[in-house]
Amino acid sequence: MDTLVAQYSRPAFENEGYAQDDDQQLITQITPPLSLKFALPPVAQSSSWLRAMTDDYSNPNCPIKIAHGTTTLAFRFQGGIIVATDSRATAGNWIASQTVKKVIEINSCLLGTMAGGAADCQYWLAYLGMQCRLHELRHKRRISVAAASKILANLVYSYKGMGLSMGTMCAGVTPQEGPALYYIDSDGTRLSGNLFCVGSGQTFAYGVLDAEYKYDLTEEEALELGRRSILAATHRDAFSGGFINLYHVKEDGWVKHGFNDTNPIFWKTKLEKGEFSNVTSKLV
Amino acid sequence: MASVFHPGPPSGTPKYSFAQQPNTASEGARQHSFYPYTDNGGSTLGIAGADFTIIAGDTRSTSGYSINTRYCPKVFRIGGPESRIALSVVGFAADGDALKERLDTILKMYKYQHGKTMSVAACAQRLSHILYGKRFFPYYVHAILGGLDEEGKGAVYSYDPVGSYEREQCRAGGAAASLIMPFLDNQVNYKNQCIPGRGTGHELRQRVQEPLPRKDVEQLVEDAFSSAVERHIEVGDGLQMIIITSKGIEEIYKPLKKD
Amino acid sequence: MEVLLGITGKDFTIIAASKGAMRGVTILKATDDKTRELNKRTLMAYSGEAGDTVQFAEYIQANIQLYSMRNGMHLSPAATAEFVRGELARALRSRHPYTVNLLLGGYDDISDRPTLYWCDYLASLAPLPYAAHGYAQYYCLSILDKHHHPDIDFAKGMQILRMCTDELKRRMPIDFKGMTVKVIAKDGIREEEYVDDKPVPCA
Repeated sequence: MDTLVAQYSRPAFENEGYAQDDDQQLITQITPPLSLKFALPPVAQSSSWLRAMTDDYSNPNCPIKIAHGTTTLAFRFQGGIIVATDSRATAGNWIASQTVKKVIEINSCLLGTMAGGAADCQYWLAYLGMQCRLHELRHKRRISVAAASKILANLVYSYKGMGLSMGTMCAGVTPQEGPALYYIDSDGTRLSGNLFCVGSGQTFAYGVLDAEYKYDLTEEEALELGRRSILAATHRDAFSGGFINLYHVKEDGWVKHGFNDTNPIFWKTKLEKGEFSNVTSKLV
Repeated sequence: MASVFHPGPPSGTPKYSFAQQPNTASEGARQHSFYPYTDNGGSTLGIAGADFTIIAGDTRSTSGYSINTRYCPKVFRIGGPESRIALSVVGFAADGDALKERLDTILKMYKYQHGKTMSVAACAQRLSHILYGKRFFPYYVHAILGGLDEEGKGAVYSYDPVGSYEREQCRAGGAAASLIMPFLDNQVNYKNQCIPGRGTGHELRQRVQEPLPRKDVEQLVEDAFSSAVERHIEVGDGLQMIIITSKGIEEIYKPLKKD
Repeated sequence: MEVLLGITGKDFTIIAASKGAMRGVTILKATDDKTRELNKRTLMAYSGEAGDTVQFAEYIQANIQLYSMRNGMHLSPAATAEFVRGELARALRSRHPYTVNLLLGGYDDISDRPTLYWCDYLASLAPLPYAAHGYAQYYCLSILDKHHHPDIDFAKGMQILRMCTDELKRRMPIDFKGMTVKVIAKDGIREEEYVDDKPVPCA
């Protein structure tokens, strides 16, 4: 039935792809287009074609390996929002990079995090930044985090089934909402909440974070808890590692608290606090 | 450590993977007769110095176990004579060529319309958007862009096939990336190198990274490729290096083993 | 969705196993005991393929008890663990492998130390200070990494266990019906009452 339907219908987004003639126009356009015109393969089921080409989860021999794998977290507390991530990007078993910036600075008050497809997150959060700026210019006031996250959620929902893969959090502080945190993923889910961990290392981060999280954390406690939760995930999840990227979102914008190598932090934690007692040099 | 009963992460995780079939597709594995890609092998490499950038690539082109040609450049100067930007593309040569032509045209149009050459940072972002424009029908390429930034420092940007990018000190791409990249981590970023004479164990301090002089970098590039040629069948024949400095762009060709 | 947890401390080993016995979408029993006492100071907790689990556990239990009767002494936890691993490995290479994951908690009265062995259905065995099987690994190991120290006392051990089970209740989509908790110490094995009536909300 599906093949029959495919034969007599056209892909939903076909009209948005560019034909040969406007190819030239696209190239020579002066303004770099953060456009919504995407090239599509000349097949009926473009999403399943894309899956065959790029999804190393269902097809380990796929030709195009897209960077994946992550631990990211963000939580609200009395002093604002803590955002922390690791920095590893993997393509299959290959560590593509150990220095990825997974916290995306949308503007001086809004942060986005990156889990899933690196390009999807980078591109669409840049697009979101553009939409937020346009909102500011049109309405003469800053966009709320609720509205910003909804722009993103509606956007990714319109591409549902096309193969986008992203799990992102939007964190920001605005006068009308106070500190606000939203989770958005490529399924179209959009949730507000106090605490989210996203990515392959999420459960490990949740473990540490849930155990000691409370809204009344001091700033130092909150930063340390964010850092320690990412460390826990880098220790147990092979797809997470590299550096710990820490941010604190306050009323007057976000503050960066370093991009630090996990290895010395791990040894410092182990030796000074006696944690990670399963790591020994003792031979059995 | 995942037990056999629960092979993946818990089902609550978002579907970053396409493991779950979208409800538009019919059941069962699909065979796709449409396969517009091939891998032409080869390897590329980019290293940024204090006031220069070297982008290099071998010149072999393969398909399967056969060699198509021994001279098929993967590294290109783009944006006309005044431009100080080089692009290397490895993967599917036809996609690479198409990508190079597109970016080259954009850089030239920018020059004609603005009366100045495009900065590397701008060019880097534009390249990302070009790659992402084919998110649903990707260019099968690993691109590395090199140039000099606004302060005259060397800049290397690396890309995945769908346009995620990052500025780095060095990057290897293509078939022998897994052979060259660890070597570069050690020799350019001094990863796992310690300052001698500081005791053992946790007393050790990592050697800090500093920009390398041009002669050293050229030597590193040659060593990286001659070593890759020894251990990878898709790499060999010739080494093409483009060296970008504020004075201009030099191109060097050196033979590699041809077996 | 079965949960097995093991924690050692200064003079005890805690073994905790979920009480739910599930088949498909149904919970058949909410007071299942997934542990067997092998001898005075060794306890085995198991999870895995229905049928295999109890068959294997009782086969092991009978043999360890037989050893005690024949020789008038208990097999040490280390020796027990090696025996169990051996049996599992032998079965793995037969036509009827046991698909069973195990935790072996013990107290070695010669070295006066608590022991914990982790063994999966492929018969890889590892002595560990704390261990988990199934989904519990994903949620609890990071908690244990942070809060466990080799010389914790019993109260602290139970407190860490509570952190783990609270996290599982908070984040796991399926109710595992609480935990059976058993403690192995110098004076033998005892069941610890484990109150489980407070709901744990997400933050």
